[in-house]
Amino acid sequence: MTKHTTISRRRFGALAGAAALAPALSTRAAAQTDEVIRIGWVGPRSGPLGIFGEADRWLADAFAAKQAGGVEIGGKTYGIEVILADTQSDPLRASQETRDLINGQNPDIVIASSTPETTNPVADACEAAGVPCITTVAPWEAFFFGRGGDPENPFKWTFHFSFGAGDFAPFYNGQWAKLETNKKVGMLLPNDADGNAIRSNLIPALEGLGFECFDAGPYENMTSDFSNQINFFKKNGCEIINAFPFPPDFPVFWRQAAQLGLAQQVKIMQMAKAGLFAAEMEAMGQLGYGLASGAYWHRLFPTSSPSLGMSSVELADGFEAATGKQWTQQPGANAALFDVLMAALGASGNPKDKAAVAGACRTLVADTAVGTVDFANGPMPGIAVTPLVGTQWVKAPDGPYDFSMEITSNALAPNVPLTAALKPYRIGG
Amino acid sequence: MFDGVLQALLQGGLLGGYYAIIAAGLSLMVGVVRFINLAHGDMAVLGAMVTITLTEVGGVPVLWSIMIMLPAMALMGWVMHATLFQRAMRGGFLLPILVTIGLGAALQNGMFGLWGSNTRSLGASIGELSWASWILPGGIILGKLPVLIFVTAVVVIGALHLMLKKTKLGRAIRATASDPEAAEMCGVSSRQAHRAAAAIAVTLAALAGVFLAMRGQVTPYSGPAQLIFAFEAVVIGGIGSLGGTLIGGMVLGVSQSLGGLISPQGSLLAGHLVFVSVLIWRLSRDWARDHGGWRASLAISAIKLRRRLTGGAPAPDRAPSSKGAA
Repeated sequence: MTKHTTISRRRFGALAGAAALAPALSTRAAAQTDEVIRIGWVGPRSGPLGIFGEADRWLADAFAAKQAGGVEIGGKTYGIEVILADTQSDPLRASQETRDLINGQNPDIVIASSTPETTNPVADACEAAGVPCITTVAPWEAFFFGRGGDPENPFKWTFHFSFGAGDFAPFYNGQWAKLETNKKVGMLLPNDADGNAIRSNLIPALEGLGFECFDAGPYENMTSDFSNQINFFKKNGCEIINAFPFPPDFPVFWRQAAQLGLAQQVKIMQMAKAGLFAAEMEAMGQLGYGLASGAYWHRLFPTSSPSLGMSSVELADGFEAATGKQWTQQPGANAALFDVLMAALGASGNPKDKAAVAGACRTLVADTAVGTVDFANGPMPGIAVTPLVGTQWVKAPDGPYDFSMEITSNALAPNVPLTAALKPYRIGG
Repeated sequence: MFDGVLQALLQGGLLGGYYAIIAAGLSLMVGVVRFINLAHGDMAVLGAMVTITLTEVGGVPVLWSIMIMLPAMALMGWVMHATLFQRAMRGGFLLPILVTIGLGAALQNGMFGLWGSNTRSLGASIGELSWASWILPGGIILGKLPVLIFVTAVVVIGALHLMLKKTKLGRAIRATASDPEAAEMCGVSSRQAHRAAAAIAVTLAALAGVFLAMRGQVTPYSGPAQLIFAFEAVVIGGIGSLGGTLIGGMVLGVSQSLGGLISPQGSLLAGHLVFVSVLIWRLSRDWARDHGGWRASLAISAIKLRRRLTGGAPAPDRAPSSKGAA
């Protein structure tokens, strides 16, 4: 949307709003030099995934302000320009926007964030065009294998750091050990790519750790009736429920679970995919207090973002001040994207040389807002793993917001401090 | 196992209340106006979207939003019939179908343009009602919302029945349904009767949409699936019969619920299978009636089958023609 793209009539409404912002979409740091490093940032900023992109505008401005004096690499000072493009939450659109960005704006590097629907098409377009690309916030398996990655013949231009689906078992083991339960886990997994991947990998792993899993079977997304699954979990006496739902399905499931008495028997309701944002919890009302989730970043992470010059607390507070909304995990996760990017540009010696930048990424170790990102020791070439911490949504003791996210387990990130003990689920908190 | 089945029967029966409400409007249109509105499901979603917007953006309490939305949708139904459906009906058999398919697409894309593709729900706006329940002796659980929807269905269908039987408008609608020309000669305006029926049908669709948004979620593209459920309930219950629609809805709900007990993916499939079975049963019943009863028609079928098995594949023109082969 930084340039003319084909606009279908149905998109017009969305575009009309964005058009007002268009002149400001590219954020150029006032540089006194000839050479400018152009950073293309593709993300979902409207549509169903729009909440993931809420922090982007503010982050891009804060980053540009921080780098306003230019950045010195290899004895030369470069200006920095960030060009934003919106996927409108659509993978096809993401692909198109990335191609248009590469062809029209000639970025030196592209970054993208949040869900495989964003990271994969953007990375594919960059791989095809030979532009370095760094992505985050999508299970790395979905990024690597979902794009047909081959460890023997890895991607040349595209790099990804995120949590992995394989981490869920140790992560949940740490979180669920915090409470005394009968270790019977009800698994609610839809019939989609994520659901089936989790079914075949996570269930055996959890059973190996001594949990007894009850799989309610693959159901279709957007189901409006979960009563059979709920009765199945009830009958088997499950005290832990682990759900990987399409996010809008979760409130439907959990309301029916309360209606049919499952919520009253469950001690831990562990969500993945859903439950990342306070807005989702507010829509659940009373039923939201005590739901457990996971986080890839938190306001109280003992980390900071070198590229923005802010600590985690400052990132969260800055986001709240700029948007008037409660902080989410996105400012931290996306700040890490800038951190990795700046480290890669610095290590390349010549940020205008795309091959040098990609080469630097391959062995990069960078301190970021989500912790250390280490591409040298990743599970696959071009992949770095960052940790998840266990969280629980509780009634905020004070403050303007209703829900507060507490860190309840840190098995994968022992350096992150716990902020509260995991409490058994109870309706009303 | 037993209480699982009992619980599934109850949940399915209550779910049938929702199907009955959305099917009642369709049944009225098919039975009375002889008009198939393929945008019926989209109108349900539109009703839900308007209610959600009034509640979330306008800050209007849910009940008031519904009270504002229903008359508006009734008016829309009236206007739609006066301007669109009535003309389409004059254009023969195919035109109404094309017009309502187009209307459905326009509604879907219009809603997408206005509200985006997000899934929306009224669940958060109705507070405890969305999840509260009564626990009966024996561990049977009845959700308050499903019970409310079912009771509404019974009341609405009962009221509609009384209206058709007892009021002047009802008599006009029924007279028009059985013979429009004779009704016109007796001073009944069939146009007015049809428009009234369309207004009622759209109102019922919108009410069903609100209930859908309360118990689940809606997107601008949720309509066609609801249309299929409505059609199935109408066909199972018998076209044009309001009481039958309630039963049809419950049969559909119970079969989905029992199908879900067998396999999580079995629930929709079971509903469709019951629908197809009922349809086949009806068609073969009618065929049998025209061929001297079940026994005679079975004999005809058996003869035809034997001929096909033993005689290879006889050319149709050489096969002795029987009444059944026609």
